[in-house]
Amino acid sequence: MSLATRLRPARGAAIAVLIYLVMYLVYAISEASATSVFAITNLLDNTIVLAIAAAGLTLVVLTGEFDLSGIGVIAIANVVVATTSVGILGWFGALVAVVLIGAAVGLINGWLVVGLGLQSLAVTIGTMIACEGVALVILAAPGGEVSDTVANGLTGDIADVVPVAAVIIVGVLMLWFVFARTRLGIAIYAVGSDENAAGLSGLNVRRTKLLTFVLAGAAYGCAGYLLSAQTGSGDPRASNTFLLFMYAAVAIGGTSLAGGRGGVFGSVVGAGILTVMQKMLFALGAASFYTSVFSGIIMLVALFVGNLSVLRLRRRRRGGAEWQSATPRP
Amino acid sequence: MAKRDAPTLSESKPARLRAHAARANPELLPVAVVLACAALLIIATKILNPGSSLTQQLSAVLVTSIFLVVASFGQGLTILLGGIDLSIGVVAGLSAMMISVLTNGQNASLPWAVPATLAFCAAIGMINGLGIALAKVPPFIMTLASGITFFGVGLGFTSGLAQRPVAPALQALMSGHWLGVPIPIYLIAGFVVIAAIFQNGTAEGRQLYAIGSGPRAASVLGLPISGLTILAYALSGLCAGVSGLLLAGYSSAATLDIGDPLLLPTIAAVVIGGARVVGGKGIYLGTFAGAIFLSALETVITVLSLSQGLRNIIEGVIIVGALLLQSERWGALRRWSN
Amino acid sequence: MNGLPRRLKTLPKPLLHCAGALALILGGLAQPASAQGEHYKVFLDLSYSGNVWQTAAANGVKALAGTPPYDKTVEFKTVISGTDVQHQISDLQSMIAAGANAILFYPVSGTGLNRVIEQGCKHNVLMFAYDSTVTAPCAYNVSSLSGRYGANSAQWMVNEMGGKGEMVINHGVAGTALTDLMDRQALGVFKRYPGIKIVGDFYGNWNDATSQENVAKVIAAHPNIDAIWTVDGTYGSLQAVQQHRPDRLVVIAGQSNNGYRLDIGDAALQAKGLKGLSASFGPADGPYAFKVMMEVLTGQLKLTAHNVEYPLPWVPYNEVKLCTGLAFENGCNVFPESKVPALFIDTALNGDLLPELNLTAVQNGTAMSGATIKPLPAVTYADDLPGVNCTDCKPPADWLEPNRVKPIPVPN
Repeated sequence: MSLATRLRPARGAAIAVLIYLVMYLVYAISEASATSVFAITNLLDNTIVLAIAAAGLTLVVLTGEFDLSGIGVIAIANVVVATTSVGILGWFGALVAVVLIGAAVGLINGWLVVGLGLQSLAVTIGTMIACEGVALVILAAPGGEVSDTVANGLTGDIADVVPVAAVIIVGVLMLWFVFARTRLGIAIYAVGSDENAAGLSGLNVRRTKLLTFVLAGAAYGCAGYLLSAQTGSGDPRASNTFLLFMYAAVAIGGTSLAGGRGGVFGSVVGAGILTVMQKMLFALGAASFYTSVFSGIIMLVALFVGNLSVLRLRRRRRGGAEWQSATPRP
Repeated sequence: MAKRDAPTLSESKPARLRAHAARANPELLPVAVVLACAALLIIATKILNPGSSLTQQLSAVLVTSIFLVVASFGQGLTILLGGIDLSIGVVAGLSAMMISVLTNGQNASLPWAVPATLAFCAAIGMINGLGIALAKVPPFIMTLASGITFFGVGLGFTSGLAQRPVAPALQALMSGHWLGVPIPIYLIAGFVVIAAIFQNGTAEGRQLYAIGSGPRAASVLGLPISGLTILAYALSGLCAGVSGLLLAGYSSAATLDIGDPLLLPTIAAVVIGGARVVGGKGIYLGTFAGAIFLSALETVITVLSLSQGLRNIIEGVIIVGALLLQSERWGALRRWSN
Repeated sequence: MNGLPRRLKTLPKPLLHCAGALALILGGLAQPASAQGEHYKVFLDLSYSGNVWQTAAANGVKALAGTPPYDKTVEFKTVISGTDVQHQISDLQSMIAAGANAILFYPVSGTGLNRVIEQGCKHNVLMFAYDSTVTAPCAYNVSSLSGRYGANSAQWMVNEMGGKGEMVINHGVAGTALTDLMDRQALGVFKRYPGIKIVGDFYGNWNDATSQENVAKVIAAHPNIDAIWTVDGTYGSLQAVQQHRPDRLVVIAGQSNNGYRLDIGDAALQAKGLKGLSASFGPADGPYAFKVMMEVLTGQLKLTAHNVEYPLPWVPYNEVKLCTGLAFENGCNVFPESKVPALFIDTALNGDLLPELNLTAVQNGTAMSGATIKPLPAVTYADDLPGVNCTDCKPPADWLEPNRVKPIPVPN
């Protein structure tokens, strides 16, 4: 597969964009004020934490590893911002702090997985639980205070028209576009597609994987910072639902959990889908308990649709019996 | 491919047995270590509280571990395949709710209520298996999405219904004694035997190992991968269902979230017991040891009166520590066996 | 068909089906014509769901919304947001955008929703939080938090224990303002009596099965415990004691599950040492909050402060009284075993403040036949508790002290 082909937004991501547009359309038709700047800003504010977290997770998933520690890092970042952004560190210092904390946790994850050869799913469950504990130790109950610069600044609009969240998301996508073409970006895809071959062809597999964990951790730190802006306070509890949605965003966006295929663009769209899906279900008047049912089904349908197109693509490319079933990966 | 190939039929029986034993031994080491750690924890609790009785403690740890022991077996099967089951908590909760609604405090309907409940749970597992095997949905997402969906279904059905009491026979099962030993301990013993035989003694069990450690080779060999996948997830749903029944009997009342605390510990138990999450390694006895260890750990933590934050940190460190011990052991063993 | 570009031809079938289905759904989205005269759009937003407490509270509110005159004047909808704070923020924003007049919600975070609450207030939406409180200045809180359950129940237990003995603490969900506050009050009281030793504590997470397992383990390690303090998960805690040490029971405080109240009122169990208090937060504060909210919405009531107190239930073992009918009348406060399941929470009903609710109403969410909404007596305002139900405020000086139970002197 040529470089250009691999780096074009995957077919899965294209389907994801289509799904998003359909859902947004349904939501906008049923809710008169949906297209106002206020509503769009709210929607983007709701999306951005999941989008950044899923973006970080994508890097790890692309190399074929797991990372469940995201929600733990987000909880720590949240309580750190809530306890230091007004006082000691200020808004900028708090940002630096959470990025460093996230990167540190990522470093620990990476070292355990790459350096000591432990399985990433199990290891990151351990670090997730430990991080939840650290968050509880820092702040025992919801509270703290997030500085107004952060809270109002990040959730507001520039010149009353352009949501800050939109600027951040566009920035992230541009960053990804550049990153995917760097040596590290290409190495990530290579390692995910075929680790042995990548190693044999001279890539430092271990360093690549380690860096993805560190970058993911930094991304989780940023996501936690944005969560503090959204909620204006600290909450030490990690949300298990959020972890599951992180993975759903990645998968729906077309990134394969086996590695080697997909990208951050798809995951950001996937995050958008999950957020607008909630709006759409509300607007459609789905009965309270059925929102869960619909959420689950829609997630599966979106995945199925995404998978379908990829499977068809593969079959066309191979032109023969598909005896190479995908490696079973959790 | 594994270094020790399966002995062919042409080799003599003693050779086959020797090869079998050689293969099994390394897997027993983590079991022994984890059980030893669990025993140490129980003894530590006794030392911290001289007034307590060791048999009482052992009994308490064993009885409260039964839910984990049963559910972890199902989780272990899916992990063996290289998958995972994230719907276990919801299925256990649905099972508990179902049995209490169907029996409504009477023993009369038990003979058909229990099979019906377990069939329902196995069906959820089968749906998971179908999605994973045929539609190629990643197990993480499939089981997660089905968990969310069925939770919504359960919520829809029970939001109007009041909680019904559970059949007395089920309650008596969980609280009764026979020859001075609590009945659940007999249940555990029986279950461990059955589960160990299935996972490590039957053809299906061995095939699961084969698929988990080398899916492409398994496919070339013509193993019924789809069928076995569906079987593994159906069994996982079934085990979660059994855990739910036991929980309902133990607490004599059921709520939809009764199974939620089970999910992460089942994964932890499987991992601590020596299974490789990528699949293909680990015996059931290891999972069982992991479950006992976690139950004993909880007791010690409770007695130490630590804040929730510190408990989480300790739990996380122990999981990582257990993993570290596993990995070094494999390395050392590989060196010895060469 | 032939003229369509290739890409459209290969559009996955499921998407086409989806679009078709959506068209059908959109067709059925016509808004109902609004009723003549008063018409209020009211939402109930749950975060936690699927347990006995939440179900009872939600059913009570639904029943009231279906009781005359509200059945005609209120357009009522229930939403379940789940336990992720951003989901609740998104749903609340949707409700505000849909033109809600009032939103009754169970907040998943005491501080994280403040921004969206401010948005609601700016749009003239009444924002009422029940049982769990928020610190947003414009929101209204209806809760029993200011009833000092932690301090009062702890002091009651100390009095029953004579100031000494072995104690086990059953915490609620960690990281919540409720657990933090209750723990601080209770532990503050226990620490004053050196004869009281806390030999174990665990996080029962308001779950009876978890509580039962943990008490079973604690009792094995400490066979001589004298008392268990809980906020919820009480029934499970007591069951563990009854299973493992049936001849010597404990002093215990906690929820108001029917089975638990029956047990503590049982003379035979009392003779074995069971001294119980049933006083924890009751689901009836939800329906009560609904009534208060509607009275404010319809202009019948003007609130001068934002924190309303729902009276803390308080039934010690010597005040348990069996009911004969389907409602709490004549001072009765527990139902016979055959009438309701053991986990049913008795404090879902309130004979004085909520005469419109009976057993069927809180179990099914259907309005009581023949009932009409009765006006509420004057509301009691709650103490200000900074970080709990307000931000820039001062608490009363003794906010961690018991105010219902007179402390016994410390024994030597």
